[in-house]
Amino acid sequence: MSQSNRTTRDYSKRTSARLLVSLLSPYKKLLLAILFTSICDMTGMLYIPTQLSAMVNVAVNTRDMSALMGHGVAMLIAALVGSGGYITSVFLASRLCAKVGRDLRTRVYDHSLAFSGSDFNSFGTGSMITRTLSDANVVQQTLLMSILMIFPVPIACVISIWLAFSTDVVMGWVLLAVTLAIIAISVAAVAKSAPIFTRLQGFIDNMNTRLRESITGVRVIRAFGKEPHERARLDETFTEYASNAIRVNLVFAVTDSMTFFLMNVVEATIMWVGADRVGAHAMQIGSISALVEYAMLIMMFMMMAQFAILQVPRALACLTRAAEVLDVEPEIEDAAAPAALPAACEAGDEVARFDHVSLRFSDADEDTLHDISFALRRGQTTAIIGNTGSGKSTIAKMLLRFNDVTGGSLSFNGVDVRRITQEELRGRISYVPQKAWLFSGTIADNLRHGDADATDERLWHALDVAQGGFVRELAHGLGTRVAQGGTNFSGGQRQRLAIARALVRRADLYVFDDSFSALDYKTDAALRHALAGELTDAATLIIAQRVSTIHDADQIVVLRDGEVVGLGTHDDLMETCPTYRAIADSQTRGGDANA
Amino acid sequence: MPSEKNLELDELDQLKRGRGPQTKAQPGPDEELDVPSDALGTAARLWSAAAGQRWRLVVAALCSVLYVAGSLGATAYSAGLIDHLWANIQAAFAAGEPFVVSLDNAGIEILTFMGIWTAAWAAYTVQALVMASFAERLNLGLRGQIADKLSRLPLSYYDAHQPGDTISRATNDLDKISEVLQRGLLQLLIAVSMVGGAIILMATYDLMLTGVFVAFALVASGVTKLVTAQTLKLAAARQAALGELTGRVEEAYSGRAVIKAFGREDASMAEIAAAAEDLAETSATADFVTNGIAPAIRLLMRLCQVTVGLLAGGMLVMGQISVGVFQAFFQYVMQASEPLTQLSLTVNMLQGALAAAERVFALVDEPEVVPDPAVPAPLPEPVRGRVAFEHVRFGYASDRPLMRDVSLVAEPGQKVAIVGATGAGKTTLINLLMRFYEVDGGRITLDGVDTRELTRAELRRQFGMVLQDAWLFEGTITENIAYGKLGATREEVEAAARAAHVDFFVRTLPHGYDTMLSNDAENISQGQRQLLTIARAMLTDPAILILDEATSSVDTRTEQAIVRAMEAIMENRTSFVIAHRLSTIVDADLILVMEKGNIIEQGTHEELLAAGGAYAELYRSQFA
Repeated sequence: MSQSNRTTRDYSKRTSARLLVSLLSPYKKLLLAILFTSICDMTGMLYIPTQLSAMVNVAVNTRDMSALMGHGVAMLIAALVGSGGYITSVFLASRLCAKVGRDLRTRVYDHSLAFSGSDFNSFGTGSMITRTLSDANVVQQTLLMSILMIFPVPIACVISIWLAFSTDVVMGWVLLAVTLAIIAISVAAVAKSAPIFTRLQGFIDNMNTRLRESITGVRVIRAFGKEPHERARLDETFTEYASNAIRVNLVFAVTDSMTFFLMNVVEATIMWVGADRVGAHAMQIGSISALVEYAMLIMMFMMMAQFAILQVPRALACLTRAAEVLDVEPEIEDAAAPAALPAACEAGDEVARFDHVSLRFSDADEDTLHDISFALRRGQTTAIIGNTGSGKSTIAKMLLRFNDVTGGSLSFNGVDVRRITQEELRGRISYVPQKAWLFSGTIADNLRHGDADATDERLWHALDVAQGGFVRELAHGLGTRVAQGGTNFSGGQRQRLAIARALVRRADLYVFDDSFSALDYKTDAALRHALAGELTDAATLIIAQRVSTIHDADQIVVLRDGEVVGLGTHDDLMETCPTYRAIADSQTRGGDANA
Repeated sequence: MPSEKNLELDELDQLKRGRGPQTKAQPGPDEELDVPSDALGTAARLWSAAAGQRWRLVVAALCSVLYVAGSLGATAYSAGLIDHLWANIQAAFAAGEPFVVSLDNAGIEILTFMGIWTAAWAAYTVQALVMASFAERLNLGLRGQIADKLSRLPLSYYDAHQPGDTISRATNDLDKISEVLQRGLLQLLIAVSMVGGAIILMATYDLMLTGVFVAFALVASGVTKLVTAQTLKLAAARQAALGELTGRVEEAYSGRAVIKAFGREDASMAEIAAAAEDLAETSATADFVTNGIAPAIRLLMRLCQVTVGLLAGGMLVMGQISVGVFQAFFQYVMQASEPLTQLSLTVNMLQGALAAAERVFALVDEPEVVPDPAVPAPLPEPVRGRVAFEHVRFGYASDRPLMRDVSLVAEPGQKVAIVGATGAGKTTLINLLMRFYEVDGGRITLDGVDTRELTRAELRRQFGMVLQDAWLFEGTITENIAYGKLGATREEVEAAARAAHVDFFVRTLPHGYDTMLSNDAENISQGQRQLLTIARAMLTDPAILILDEATSSVDTRTEQAIVRAMEAIMENRTSFVIAHRLSTIVDADLILVMEKGNIIEQGTHEELLAAGGAYAELYRSQFA
């Protein structure tokens, strides 16, 4: 996405580091505990060869059985402390990372709730889902891997070099040199493979995108006879991926091989120099194998760390993507000292007024809505009609403060909406969205979104008005399960449930955003008839595509390209507004059945 | 009625359920619950898929054995070496001389020791280099087969399977296979030979100590087996928790407007937090057990080392064994412990990979479309576009016929409108016309030729199609519009865009015709996407046009403008139009009214109104 392109690399690294620190900061104690258990782990692990060599030394020198037993017990303790430490580390790190993952997910989600529509759409639903879920997963798993595989390495190096020095100074220097050589090889390997590895990730994404395209677009592809073309495109991504994956494998193979070779040289060197040192009475014969063991362990840890380090750039990218969401300042925020909303007024009073309202999205060159003025009155039905992109739905969104005016003012019950809290404003409005969306749960759960305390009678009444009689025929009635999004109901049924949900709420203003389009004409007519008697002491706003839906409205606002080009009743507009007439004609063309 | 049950979709659902359990493919990183049903057969098939590459496997296997032999041999040699060093050092001490390693004094032995290790290293390196490309080459071949397959699978496959399921076979499943082939297979070989070889060599030193090791090893593998079963269960639990959270988040993001409008932010946060907490709990446990097995087994092996150390130490004190043997024996215990820790995990991975391979092969084995006739019938030139259905019978499931006896004739240049509720069979008609599905009985002709006697490519070339869901691919707008016509010029693309009323919109985009379209960025609206697909169809200038509810997310005025442009272009060409709004089809030459898969009425608008049947009622209800 363009957003990540805009941020420079340095900046993004700092952003992700900052986020990581803030994610870890609540768990300082857990981190300290892990540090402690890691030290136990490493000490125990390195103490085993140390004790083993001590056993050899006892056996060849003093032949003291009880000293031998002593070292055996020490070894047992080292094994228990070491493994116990590691297992505890795994336990603690798994907890820590699970918590960090959870925190990241909920932080992103919670923050997104304050977003306006345009804030959210600048990422897109698909991308937001990825940022909330899979990005957090990658961060969680990589953090776990880093704690288990990278964190212990410096500890292991320090302890083994210290042990080597305490055995013999010369051998200490040898081990230090060996450690530095291993670090050099590892750094080179990571530097070499990291970019290829990152590119590989891109090829995997490509592969997924192309496969998805060629599956979801199969009808179009076949209709155009493009099968060979798609096949070639797929082959291209597959080949790109394969050749890159092979390169990564080769880099790993070469690194492995180099490390292995170094291991041989080190072992021979330690034997050679070690035997000399034994010969010079500087150390004992058993210590040779302990020193070899220290070197091997360092090498093993370093190889594991290499593998883990390669995953880190990807996790940092994921962190940056999450940070991008968290860094967005919501466009719309409540005033510091919000005004109170006056209580309901009398019929005919203005509930909401658009006063020369203009709206321009931050990335647009032109107004989406320009100089809009009209009022919504209690007891009246106002309708908005216009072509796609004329800004109809945006008007509904402005009433709910999903978007704020960039010119003019919008008032609710006489108060500028920017001075009241979003919660209070939305509590006075009941809204049926264009896309009837239901949540998993029961029908009753969904309807009570409108009013948590509504009685079953209220729910049934709302359903009756909304032409939702089909609920009565369901075996479980109001207790019927609703699948995610409401997909177990037809489009028309969903729409009627969404309308019922809005009717359950007692509001000053009811907004129907293109809510009747999924209904057939008969249901549409019956619903409008039932609604007319229901919403007498509130203002009603209907956004519609069909002239037949809004025929009887008290006033009709005709929008074209974001401007009001007509305002009046159906009959007025048929005479005075060419745009309205064109819409009406286009819907009744060729028929003589319309009035 | 929109509230009616959706017949066609029901049929497809049946098809889906009959096909197998994979409804939603979201395989996690450690989803290895599955075991292959025919491990040997699948392995044999993989072996034959690796033809031309087998030498790599053979060479790598040989090298692995050499590597194991080398490293075990080096340890055996080191026993003698240490004893030799110790003897020389003691001799020097006894003589009161300092001991210094030189080539003559134990140096050559140390170099020999290094030589043995170097041989093992060489074998290891050859193996690693040879195998670096083995699995990916094999996968590339299999992916090629899948790509090939995708172009020959019938539409019924696509309609019955989730895209994610198929994608996961081509990506995750194959990756699982390559991971195992890359490392697992040789790891298994190395582990088995290392453990086996080490035990044999240990036995040559001391049987009792070897017995101790074997006892510990058996306990370790038993423990691993138990814990592994547990990890699979935990992985499944984590997957379920992740699925639950994913569902909730998807739902909440799609329903954002509702959550905010009804002031349910706090309730929604609590819901997501609870699901996230659930996931955190299960994944903490799953991660702990998954990453905890190895150290637990290692602890067991360390206890083994302590036991062996004490026993062998005692023997060393008693002078029953030498320093070299003591250390070599210990070295063997270490060498065999590591692979032993991994052995049972590797077996599990292997099983998972074979199961994945089975899924891949199942895809490759899916029945394909009936091949095109060897000698296709020629279409008369130029194609006039007369389409006829003659007693067509069809059902998505063979035992549940949908269309019983459908006949219709579209004369060249006619506009045929199809009306009916969702699921009435409108899309089915198009599916049969384009031969996305094959008829069960009767026939469909184009200019008098049975469409089954043509190649599919030839048949489809005659059609331009605009579908309900506006499929565009990741590429520029120009590339997308020019999709149907190879080598279309920029002028042609822009002309098509103008005709589809989308030119102005495209020009307002920052990069105009070079704007990249992406599938998740949602950078253009559904309506605009649809207009682009109309431009795409216009550019190919086909003999017959199909508009499948294509204009449903465009408002009536825009739709009318498009239809007018279409009419101009489609003059003297046959067109099939499916639309929600009757207003757009009143001027059709033929209106087909469909219900439950069959045509219940056909005629012109006036004829059908006069007849006073289903169409007349529908029409009146719309304009009442």
